[in-house]
Amino acid sequence: MNYTKQIQEIAAKLFAEGKIDVFVGYRMNGFDDNQVPVLISGPQDISKLVFTDKSVFNLVNYLKTDHTRRKRVGLVVKGCDSRSLNLMLTESQVKRENLYVVGICCEGVVDDDGQRMQNCVECMVPDAVVYDELLGETLSGSQTLTGSKPYIVNVDIAALAEKPLTERAAYFEEVFESCIRCNACRHSCPLCYCAKCCIDQETATLYNGANTTSAAFHALMTWSLHLAGRCVDCRNCEKACPSHLPLHLLHKQNESVIFKNFQEHLAGVNPGDRGAFYKYSMQDPDDFIM
Amino acid sequence: METEVKDQLVSIEKPELVAPPNWEPVIMGILCNWCSYAGSDLTGTSRIQYPPNIRIIRVPCSSRVDPWFLIKSLQTTADGVLVSGCHPGDCHYISGNYYARRRFLVTKKLLNFVGFHENRVQFSWVSAAEGPKFAKVVNKVTEDIKKLGPLHLYKKENFEKK
Repeated sequence: MNYTKQIQEIAAKLFAEGKIDVFVGYRMNGFDDNQVPVLISGPQDISKLVFTDKSVFNLVNYLKTDHTRRKRVGLVVKGCDSRSLNLMLTESQVKRENLYVVGICCEGVVDDDGQRMQNCVECMVPDAVVYDELLGETLSGSQTLTGSKPYIVNVDIAALAEKPLTERAAYFEEVFESCIRCNACRHSCPLCYCAKCCIDQETATLYNGANTTSAAFHALMTWSLHLAGRCVDCRNCEKACPSHLPLHLLHKQNESVIFKNFQEHLAGVNPGDRGAFYKYSMQDPDDFIM
Repeated sequence: METEVKDQLVSIEKPELVAPPNWEPVIMGILCNWCSYAGSDLTGTSRIQYPPNIRIIRVPCSSRVDPWFLIKSLQTTADGVLVSGCHPGDCHYISGNYYARRRFLVTKKLLNFVGFHENRVQFSWVSAAEGPKFAKVVNKVTEDIKKLGPLHLYKKENFEKK
């Protein structure tokens, strides 16, 4: 998967036509073969742009910043990124007419060890769902957009769910203990755009900003439940986490429950779909309520 | 010796921790203003007894209950939470409890996934006319949580010593 040349051509064309002010893409980080996001404001920097298997980050996150707000932005999105972009559009965070979206039919990105990332192996929507221009060969056509593939339960979730309660409790206590409350997960999430986060307000009063297991539990659980039905499994949070916490466990658990019980499509696949918690059905399961 | 061990009440999530003698659970009851709160009122005025372990909080609607409330309750004093609202179709705000129902299921499953017993968080529909049902529900929840023992997961520091 290498679209470096095409993306450079598209960016050059857009700047020449004056269609965009900023282009958000990837560049080499300068010391190894990993990549970092880059914001390009003119045609002079276009040669920096690259796109390969190592383009792991979700660039939709950069639509939250002042560099892109109220500007015309060109943007590269993979399948998962485009779903989060779809949600941001639905939730009125960005304007579609201000964006020029280069969609990628993603074949999966790789991590530091050269292994295909787990979420890419399990990916159900590899093609970009919102785009002005689509690069790459779409494998299964637009049918994948509505999630016609069977839902794949995450391997970690399946393994953990079989363990006894005490083991799960001990495992997650270690996970929450490792959290240093840097909030990088929240800042790296494209869908966490609230100017003032309820977790911070809570921290101020209840915990005085303490970095305790209890505070981490509170923050991560609240965060994951506020993202339930919206998380697109791009794993930007996990890539940003300095403690390498398995944050996907919380999100994938919520996603699997929502998918199994509410017959919902995956988050962000359909334009205008606000996520599972914004609607209801009379057929929702009721057997757990007395 | 065997009977002694049997009589000791342990926390189900942390079997190494034993409950103090005469331990009584604290249950947070989050009730909707229009049905369950009126229902609990009816239980009282009908002179039906229910366990005093429940501490009741009134909310406008069951959909007012952010999953955050449950997390916060479990972190502080509560050993269990009961959330109660109007029956489906009876919501004062027409569809609030339908939204709440989805949220409850996901919250319950997530809490169970990270190590809380599934009976720590319970939900019920109680209408304003169901005084006896409210007493029954509270009885059942209290019994369930007495079996599970005290909650020792992720307690905020000040609440660790009971």
